[in-house]
Amino acid sequence: MDQPGRIHGAAAAAAPGGDVIVMKDEMGQPHQGKVFAAIHAHLDDIPHYGAGLCAKLMHEGYAGYLIRTSNDERSGGRSTAENILNNEQDHARMAAALGFKDVFDFYYLNHDMDGISYIDLRGRLILIFRLLKVDTVISFNPWEQWEQNPDHWVTGRAVEEASWMAAMPNDFPEHLEAGFQPHAVGERYYFCVRPGQPFNRVVDIGSHIEKKIDALVECKTQGDGNRGSMVRAELSHRGKRLPLLGDDDRSADRAYARQFLLEDDREYGKPHHLQYAERFYYADQRRSSRSNADEYIEKNAVPL
Amino acid sequence: MNRRRFLGSSAAGGAALGGAAALAWTSRAEGQTANLPPRFAPSAYTVPRSPNSPYLTPDYYTFTDNLVIERNQPGRPHEGKVLAAIQAHSDDITLFAAGTVAKLIAEGYTGYLIRLSNDEKAGKTVGYGVVQNEIDNREAAKALGCKKAFSFYYRNHRMDDCAMVEIRQRLIFLFRLLQVNTVIAMDPYDHYDENPDHLVMGKAVETAAWMAGVGGGREYPEQLKAGLKPAEIRERYYHSRAPQGHNLVNRVVDIGSYIDQKVRANVANKGKGPAGDNGAHLRRTLAAQGRKLPLLGDDDATANFQYVKHFIMDDFRTIGQLFGMEYAETFRYIGPEPDFSATVRRYVDEHAVSA
Repeated sequence: MDQPGRIHGAAAAAAPGGDVIVMKDEMGQPHQGKVFAAIHAHLDDIPHYGAGLCAKLMHEGYAGYLIRTSNDERSGGRSTAENILNNEQDHARMAAALGFKDVFDFYYLNHDMDGISYIDLRGRLILIFRLLKVDTVISFNPWEQWEQNPDHWVTGRAVEEASWMAAMPNDFPEHLEAGFQPHAVGERYYFCVRPGQPFNRVVDIGSHIEKKIDALVECKTQGDGNRGSMVRAELSHRGKRLPLLGDDDRSADRAYARQFLLEDDREYGKPHHLQYAERFYYADQRRSSRSNADEYIEKNAVPL
Repeated sequence: MNRRRFLGSSAAGGAALGGAAALAWTSRAEGQTANLPPRFAPSAYTVPRSPNSPYLTPDYYTFTDNLVIERNQPGRPHEGKVLAAIQAHSDDITLFAAGTVAKLIAEGYTGYLIRLSNDEKAGKTVGYGVVQNEIDNREAAKALGCKKAFSFYYRNHRMDDCAMVEIRQRLIFLFRLLQVNTVIAMDPYDHYDENPDHLVMGKAVETAAWMAGVGGGREYPEQLKAGLKPAEIRERYYHSRAPQGHNLVNRVVDIGSYIDQKVRANVANKGKGPAGDNGAHLRRTLAAQGRKLPLLGDDDATANFQYVKHFIMDDFRTIGQLFGMEYAETFRYIGPEPDFSATVRRYVDEHAVSA
């Protein structure tokens, strides 16, 4: 993720994509037995754009899996090799903090994903969607406008296409040979990342904000997860302190995340009287087990 | 230049001959058109080519000094092992390597046939081409004794437009799923091959065979998470194809016992290629002219079989006779890597002293 992607103030009023539905907490575990895959390009994409939704869905019964497509080699301020390692380690910790059941890392070249074999990426996603029987995906909107990071839209495109193709037995039929059946991914939540991008779901993440902060503070190599402790150290060096940041690094990081990294989430919640919210473009691709034709036939068939 | 002339042998060819009955390599003193000055030893050999069958022998072979003739092995020494024969088109393996595939399966291998293209360019329409070749691929696999045939259906003659890395991904998946030990495919360095599908296929196989193993654990780890195990491919048989090419040969396989099976696999290729129903077609053409060829017998099945065996297998008979056998197929063979760690261990055992 890159910082210019953050949406502030009036620009946060992104264009709705149809009726906007507010998703509140659901009681119990209505999604028990269901699986979602959160697919992002970089360490800090899901933490910033979708950690609240991920935490909510897992709380409500989903098993969650995390897939990172790039190797994050360009982000971290160290050598390329150190960036890869540091982001890899942060990613594992972040995933554990949010409660993901497993993590897949693809390590495509950061910022160069528009140069990769796109269908190689898609093929790998199809295998995972079939293996895990993924019901729901959370990822980038493949059609997000004004997106200057190619990793985002390449990831989003591959997710969208793989979600559909995973249901087709003639796409990668060798998967069937291995026992992985065709499987349709029914629901898609696409992040709203840039000003003007559409959304039709506002998710109340107030109950899950601490989990989101847990994820954000693990994004140390990139994503400002340890910015609070860095500011605290810098101020201390100058003989100053910021009471907000508390007395230790962990408190400082969490306080910084709550105060500054969740600004957008507070803005998104305001029109709907929510403390914190995330925005998504939601697409429901689930097919009814009975088509209109089935229902018509059932209703109108007469004896010979 | 007359490429069909056949250069004289020299010591540079090494121990290329095997067996007393081998057809000798002779130089043609009469009408010699080769102009290589005597002080140069040839580094490649032209091979006699049958006028009956196109494209089955390259212009030149380079033979290694440690060339091995692989003969029938008694019993089933390869029981428990798996081979994958990978081809771009439904007639590649059947023409160039079917004898070896049949031999290895008879000797205990479980065999799989993997076709990469959709062969769409071979049929009265693209649609018919795809359907007929799909059937042919399946039938050829059965004729060879393969357990199953797979097809990837990349567009025929356009495989250089495909993402090689995606093809490789799928091959790695199959190699791991099937636990392949041995691959048979067209030489990835098939010089001067004008068919891009062959070159793409060869390179994809070469790279996938390496990456599918334990050392390739970072390659597509999700496949391992899905329960697939690394595949250690320890042997590769690469066959030549390009008529304009020159290919390195270090293994010659005696397929004399399996020639009929090879013929039947080629007869199964009805959609394209020099085999298929050409025998029956010729028999009917002659009949319409009030003639018959006794070789072709009295029915289509016999005509097809005999046509392929007599005409299309000619090149394999010729190369076989050069090496003292009835029929042979030639390969660039790459065998198991030596176990270097075992070498080091042995040295340590022999030379370690008390501290």
